[in-house]
Amino acid sequence: MRGARLSRWLIAGPMALLALATIYPLVFTGNAAMKTRRDYILDRFAFADTLRWDNIATAWTSAGTARYFANSVIVVAGAVAMLLLLGSMAGFALSHLRFRGSRALFLGCLAALFVPFQVIMVPLVRTMADTGLVDTYPGLILAYTAQYLPFTIYLMASYYSAIPTEITDAARIDGNTTYGVYRRIMLPMGRPALLSVGVLNALFCWNDVLIALLMMPSAEHRTLMVGVTSLRGQYSADIPTFASGVLIAAVPVLAVYLFFQRRIADAVTAGSTKG
Amino acid sequence: MPLGDFTPLSARPALAGRAEGAATASRRRRQTAGLSAERLSPFVLIAPAVLVIVLFRLWPLLLGVNFSFTGDGERNGAAVGLDNYAELFADPLFLGALRNVGWLVLLLPVAVAIPGTLATFIYLRVPGHRFYRSVYFFPAVLSPVIVGSIFNLLLSFDGPVNTLLEVVGLGPVDWLGDSDVAIFTVLGVHIWATFGMALVVFLSGFATLDPALLDAARSDGATLPQVIRHVIIPGLSRTIQFVFVTTMIGMLTSMFGLIYVMTSGGPGGSTYLPEYYIWIQQGQMNRPAFASAASTVLFLVMLVVGLAQVSFLRRTGKED
Repeated sequence: MRGARLSRWLIAGPMALLALATIYPLVFTGNAAMKTRRDYILDRFAFADTLRWDNIATAWTSAGTARYFANSVIVVAGAVAMLLLLGSMAGFALSHLRFRGSRALFLGCLAALFVPFQVIMVPLVRTMADTGLVDTYPGLILAYTAQYLPFTIYLMASYYSAIPTEITDAARIDGNTTYGVYRRIMLPMGRPALLSVGVLNALFCWNDVLIALLMMPSAEHRTLMVGVTSLRGQYSADIPTFASGVLIAAVPVLAVYLFFQRRIADAVTAGSTKG
Repeated sequence: MPLGDFTPLSARPALAGRAEGAATASRRRRQTAGLSAERLSPFVLIAPAVLVIVLFRLWPLLLGVNFSFTGDGERNGAAVGLDNYAELFADPLFLGALRNVGWLVLLLPVAVAIPGTLATFIYLRVPGHRFYRSVYFFPAVLSPVIVGSIFNLLLSFDGPVNTLLEVVGLGPVDWLGDSDVAIFTVLGVHIWATFGMALVVFLSGFATLDPALLDAARSDGATLPQVIRHVIIPGLSRTIQFVFVTTMIGMLTSMFGLIYVMTSGGPGGSTYLPEYYIWIQQGQMNRPAFASAASTVLFLVMLVVGLAQVSFLRRTGKED
């Protein structure tokens, strides 16, 4: 028994080191953002003596970061709204309604899950360009919707299948149509699932760079992640300002993570254990 | 049990009882309209999603394969047979990208073993397991762009990692500038950034493991390695299989951001992966048909690797 307890602590040592290696890169970046250029060059490791926000202000106002931030918020909000609406509708239909071809449609959605964006990006961008959707907000929103919809449907369908048919049957006896069941039962009862899936999709869209890079070529429509990559060239000699830009892009994600940690993990694992 | 037409049926006697005279016809018309709307409801609910998926996901796949047999530039749109593929497999950059895929496959067991081992310890409740769970998971939510930018600072030649190495007496390493090292650096950073995701999946697999088995093994005096070998690995074979496949797909399709930010494919093209190659051909070289050929090859590679993994893991799972 004592031996087991000792070996537990022997395991905990490397685990603590790994935890440090996981957190420290972000601490280093946050610290760099709080330093003057001179302080950073003299000693990278020393902690900043005061919290100075002027680097953050510089990164925010110059280089269009504020603009990119707004672009990202618009696109992420639009894509998440679309994903939740279409995903919950389709997820409900596939989990609770049996109709001709429902099985084939479900398999089709699953098959789309295995078509990565890299494989279809060339024809997709061409089609989008032909229809005038490239470099517009709706275009990028649509691209994100197409990208994450199969996964969203899959998750919503597996969440909804946990809602017992007794409840939906009862709702029908009370005189609800299918649409009524969707609006009065599925949407309210699925709220935790919608929140989890919404947060996960928001992270995916916020963090993406490849799709944004292809779909939003002009500078005024850049999303924040593409903006951060352009900051690097601009501030290669001014690490504290560059680190500030990275921090601006990371802070919303960190906040979401702190608030919704459990939900994100739930959504990720719902895709792994079921089916 | 879906009861698509249950409501109209139950409502009919009540309606018919009240309906009289001239009102009946119009009411019946409304009712049949309601009936058919009800019958169509599954399709109405699913149509927008199917439309989006077919138009922007499945159709482009066919379009792309078709497109890969046509020419670029002067031969725009003309059928060129397998010319693109021949050129692709003669291009050292693309061959380099495929070689790097080989490295990914070889390093895959490491990328699965790390989260698997950590999840085992967390499951066995090492002190502080709750804390470790959330700390390890956290890089998984960061964008590759953010991760890449942070590691650009940490791994620069005069950066903190080399400073640390100097303290221990090891020479500085040119992490991103040495063509023999750079791809492993990027891969290492990718593993740093994503092992938390696999860890959480492993933990949810552990949640389905019967704790009585563990207790039985313990009371039989099994050591930790024996418990792992005889209880945990067989019990989690489905989860392990899932993590193998998703980790591989992740390596093939979500390293673009890291490569774009950290190395831009360099030095000397040594950190190319197929996805980065496709992007360069499409975006920089303006050769969409040629890029489509590379996309098709990537798709085939993923299919082959995925199927090979599933069959391999299934076979080893049976032997246990």
